Amino acid sequence: MNDSSTKSEIAEAMRIAMLRMDPKLSRFDPLPRIICHDEFSRGHCGWSQLVGNYENDIGTMLPGYAQHTSPMLSTLAHWDAGSHGGHDSSYALKIATRPKKGAQNVAIKRLTFRKRCPIRLEFYFTFKPEATELKLSESDVRSVGFLFDLQGGDRDGDSERVMPHVRFLNALDGEHVQKWQLKRHNAEFTPIGPSQKTLSHYHLAPEGWEDVPDGGQRLCYNEIPTKVNWTYLRFDFDLVSMEALSFQCNDRVFDMSSFDSIRIPAMKNLWCMLNIALFAETDTDKRAFLYVDSVCISGDF
Amino acid sequence: MLPENITAIVTRNERWTGQAASEPHEAGWAREAVIFVRAMKEPIGKQPTARVEISPDGMHWIGEGSEFALPAEKDGIAAARVSHFGNWLRVRANFADGTESTVLVTMHLKA
Repeated sequence: MNDSSTKSEIAEAMRIAMLRMDPKLSRFDPLPRIICHDEFSRGHCGWSQLVGNYENDIGTMLPGYAQHTSPMLSTLAHWDAGSHGGHDSSYALKIATRPKKGAQNVAIKRLTFRKRCPIRLEFYFTFKPEATELKLSESDVRSVGFLFDLQGGDRDGDSERVMPHVRFLNALDGEHVQKWQLKRHNAEFTPIGPSQKTLSHYHLAPEGWEDVPDGGQRLCYNEIPTKVNWTYLRFDFDLVSMEALSFQCNDRVFDMSSFDSIRIPAMKNLWCMLNIALFAETDTDKRAFLYVDSVCISGDF
Repeated sequence: MLPENITAIVTRNERWTGQAASEPHEAGWAREAVIFVRAMKEPIGKQPTARVEISPDGMHWIGEGSEFALPAEKDGIAAARVSHFGNWLRVRANFADGTESTVLVTMHLKA
């Protein structure tokens, strides 16, 4: 072992020790640089509604996007037990669908990256249907999930738009499925408006989801619609190779060797894009709620 | 730190007919809200009075007390200012048969 490797090992040990001393970060395993650490007791932290593209007329927006509404700061208030609260404060980010089977909603954070390097998304989440019935309702939420929307730099020779998608398919048509899925196949682009300059594609359409190998997982759902437990999730992605590196949910680490993303030709105005989106989908005519508290996005740069 | 202040789009380009309401919005962190309704198309027929509603649970609703006439022409806006609303907010209006409006409802919430 030489001096420089010893120094770097000491620096890493110090970094880990400092992270673990910090109650807010100790429950995360961030890469060396924290890009953002969003605690929703501080506000919405840049998570906004995913709005669809349009041209001249707002009515040109694809229906998948038109249904989206703004995320909320929630105390997970329930009619029977009051505010449940977040993981570490009173507040969580809430993404709510409309009360119509198949309805979806998406919250997004729009960044760019300064280096193509490994990045890590970590967050704590939970989901429930709206408590309109005095039933377990465990198969009312169809899915919750996340995606990145990425594109290389304008001088990179290999730039393409890459969109890794992962969802937890909780239920489908009333069947309590409980498995992780990915998506490689994209919906077709539709020109929006007469200029043909604005395109749109609803990449969260229900078609094209595939199972993650050995991706079944039974999460802690708890016993009535108003009790929740927070679940840890981590997803590692390499901006150099544009491939997934690792995916973990609570105690399970999943095989990412066959994982791939939606890949489409680079678009003319999305260079170095680093978008992160969270979504929910309902399987019944009942609102589905995805709650998140908190989010840590980090990179190795 | 500056107090939180957010603009939430709760209804966008939706055609309201019959009994219409915005999706429930949770905003217990906010001390005040200004709610705007803009008519995105030429409204059809006599426009009803809208009311702000509050709720203990996001499922059962009651009038908060604020009422306002919905815009009578395209791009007209109407607004209500509310405070002491607890946690949940929405806007509701009852349209008579044959009347409608395509609306944008925005909530401007401040801690």
